[in-house]
Amino acid sequence: MADNTKILVVDDEPVVVRSCERILKAEGYDIEGALSGREAILKIEENNYNLVLTDLKMPEMDGITLIRWIRKSRPSIGIVVITGYPSQETIKDALDLGIIDYVPKPFTPAVLTDVTRRAFEWIKGKALEKKIEEEFPPSMLNELDRVVNQYKKKPGSSIPVLQRSQEVVGYLPPVIQKRIAKGLNISPAEIHSIVSFYSFFTMKPRGDHTIRICLGTACYVKGIETIINKIKETLGVEVGETTKDRKFSLETVRCLGACGLAPVMVIDHDTYGALSRKKAIDAINQYAPVGINETPAEEIEAVEGE
Amino acid sequence: MERFRANLMLCAGTGCVASGATKVRAALEKELKKRGLKEEITVVLTGCNGYCAQGPVMSVLPDEIFYQSLTVEEVPKLVEEHFLKGRPYEKLMFKEPEKKLAIPLMKDIPFFKHQVLRVLRNKGLIDPEKIEEYIARDGYQAAAKALTQMTSEEVIKVIKDSGLRGRGGAGFPTGLKWEFASKVQSKVKYMLCNGDEGDPGAFMDRSVMEADPHAVIEGMIIGAKAIEAHNGYIYVRAEYPLAVKRLQMAIEQCYDAGLLGKNILDSGFDFDLEIYQGAGAFVCGEETALMRSIEGKRGMPRPRPPFPAHKGLWDKPSVLNNVETLAQIPLIILNGSGWYRSLGTEKSSGTKVFALTGAVNNIGLIEVPMGTPLRTIIYDIGGGIKKGRKFKAVQMGGPSGGCIPESLLDLPVTYEDIVKTGAIMGSGGMVVMDDNNCMVSIAKFFLEFTADESCGKCVPCRVGTRILLDMLADITEGRGKEDDIETLQDLSRDIITSSLCGLGQTAPNPILTTIRYFMDEYESHISQKWCKAGVCRDLCTFFIDEELCKGCGACLRACPSKAIIGEKKKPHKIIQEVCVYCRTCYETCKFNSIKILPAGAHEPKHMLVETKT
Repeated sequence: MADNTKILVVDDEPVVVRSCERILKAEGYDIEGALSGREAILKIEENNYNLVLTDLKMPEMDGITLIRWIRKSRPSIGIVVITGYPSQETIKDALDLGIIDYVPKPFTPAVLTDVTRRAFEWIKGKALEKKIEEEFPPSMLNELDRVVNQYKKKPGSSIPVLQRSQEVVGYLPPVIQKRIAKGLNISPAEIHSIVSFYSFFTMKPRGDHTIRICLGTACYVKGIETIINKIKETLGVEVGETTKDRKFSLETVRCLGACGLAPVMVIDHDTYGALSRKKAIDAINQYAPVGINETPAEEIEAVEGE
Repeated sequence: MERFRANLMLCAGTGCVASGATKVRAALEKELKKRGLKEEITVVLTGCNGYCAQGPVMSVLPDEIFYQSLTVEEVPKLVEEHFLKGRPYEKLMFKEPEKKLAIPLMKDIPFFKHQVLRVLRNKGLIDPEKIEEYIARDGYQAAAKALTQMTSEEVIKVIKDSGLRGRGGAGFPTGLKWEFASKVQSKVKYMLCNGDEGDPGAFMDRSVMEADPHAVIEGMIIGAKAIEAHNGYIYVRAEYPLAVKRLQMAIEQCYDAGLLGKNILDSGFDFDLEIYQGAGAFVCGEETALMRSIEGKRGMPRPRPPFPAHKGLWDKPSVLNNVETLAQIPLIILNGSGWYRSLGTEKSSGTKVFALTGAVNNIGLIEVPMGTPLRTIIYDIGGGIKKGRKFKAVQMGGPSGGCIPESLLDLPVTYEDIVKTGAIMGSGGMVVMDDNNCMVSIAKFFLEFTADESCGKCVPCRVGTRILLDMLADITEGRGKEDDIETLQDLSRDIITSSLCGLGQTAPNPILTTIRYFMDEYESHISQKWCKAGVCRDLCTFFIDEELCKGCGACLRACPSKAIIGEKKKPHKIIQEVCVYCRTCYETCKFNSIKILPAGAHEPKHMLVETKT
């Protein structure tokens, strides 16, 4: 069993604590018991638990109070409720406090192990999500939520929301898609289906600058292929990739509608037309140095004279 | 409004901005200020002028002098000569190609002389960001007329009588489309504009949206009145940021002026309009797919019927018109159907805008009456083929169209005549190709496009285009087989008959037309392993004809892999083992001494007769 599987089981009935210990120890979990809320708090303060299984109805301090204390002072600990009285009210209170799951008494070993396993999966997922959230500054996520809220009530708003979100975040990784789906109240699968359909959306992080090369007919006829090859070679990336230093992303676009200037490329928002291999690299060099342009002068003339 | 002695109408279309129009503007304003002319002369940024190849371009009003290829360095001289001394500055004028004589007036330049401007009536004449300038040129008069003096039936009748056909490609009569939607009873209807111009090589719609956004909006207001729609969307590609910006500005100005929103011009008619930005899917140019996309879903087409006139956006009756179609509407309402029919042919009335690009001298946006022969467009307006090369084909209709060969150049451009060639009118992309282009590679280029853009719904399109593409790749890489041509044709026909939407139904057109007119190229690729244009690297060998080589050394210096050897003034040689078939020497040589022979050829002499042109 992996690390971070330390469990505390809290129940005023010793038989419940003992049976939990026996069942989960056999599964490889590191488990300890406490017979009251007070004891539980003392133990939690001493040790690092990842999951607390607790009864609701206990003398002195009841489960809800314990859960409230844990949520407040140890928010990273997952909580599962074990209760013989799963009344609507108490369970609702507990759910509002953010418990992961509950196990009705009496329970079979299979139910307990299953719930425990799922609770750990959930904690792990949560940790991962948290890690990703750390990658995106809160201001960015706030802005994202603001965009979602702004469009929320408008029918058919998923595409504009995704466009704005991509502007805010730079790309649309699964965690961002999930957040948007939740905000718009549509399934993450549907958001994903849109992101994967339209070429404008990307799930990979982009570089500081995006180079979009036109693959329109006019550009093709005028030899854009040799230019793409030169850029690929210079940057050391394929189309659709980002350079290691995250300076440039290389993309192609169907037609920029600037055929009069073919061959054309766009870097961020600036259009560069009538390109030759040298001109293309020179243009890229203005954004960040990518190396010396070694294209011999005559070749440039030949291409430009085309 | 302030009055100036002269207005410098500087093109600020995407093309000219990329060629440096923004810097030229700053330089002009600085220079005018320095010379104390700021109060007399003003610089106006206009939408796309059309003559993109010569950008940045500028016309001076009221003298109508046209300047091209402006640079920051030339600005002081230009201001001094023209505006201080009163001598138009010849250096920046258009030069007639043969005798290099300067042609000062815009209307005398061949590129403009043969055009008739209707859709592009305001290009280069107004600042597209100011509604007043559009109104000053009769803008919104047609909308006022339609809203206050005409019934829906009258509007539809005029459009029907005009014979206007959809400019998006298929050429469906616009009036008829409106009539269908107007007859359906529904409280909610939608008037939509298709600005998802996706055909590679076409940029008419972008230019119209950038240069004259109000014309599109006015057309939509009139269309909305005709079908009784109160909501509308303009669907624009996200790749056209300037068009989005200009349209957004124009819509806001309309709301401020009471031309959009509730009770327009006190007529009791309400119409709300907004922009919807596409997200990069070619198939969204198809009407049902576009509507799905506005609904916020994957843009996939659905079977018709029901047609959008009955069940369109959110299952409500909807009309979708192309940008260029809508820009014509105000003119027809103002001038009548008879006036509109005075140009064009019986079945294809009016004018058509084309994006002329590729191997012609004058690249840009043009508008000609329907029925103008292709030859006039390519040779008179386009100024012929670059560098005096030989014309090979003109590609019309983008990935849905086909390549038209030289033998059909006298064909009048109408919907009917173009369809007969196997190409389609399409949205108006016209890419000219010279003898440097390999037609098999061109077909492959378009199939790469359609195979990639197929939405995946219909198997014949999704899988079929991929198989076609693989076969073309085999042919261009030397693995072609005898019966490939037949298989290509059979499979193409199957894809055409069994696909749901226009994308699949037209995707094989580039293959079918190139086989039809350039069968010999397919055959030489397959049986002789010879790409005569020297485009397919695996199917050519480059040789220097020793009789023609002057030993100038241009190719030697140009060769990136140093495969050419030779002494000055003596015939050079290509070392085959080092050659990477990049074609650079072929394009560099001024004496036609580089010859292209089949792959693996050793004895150049006996083949030379065949390759000499």
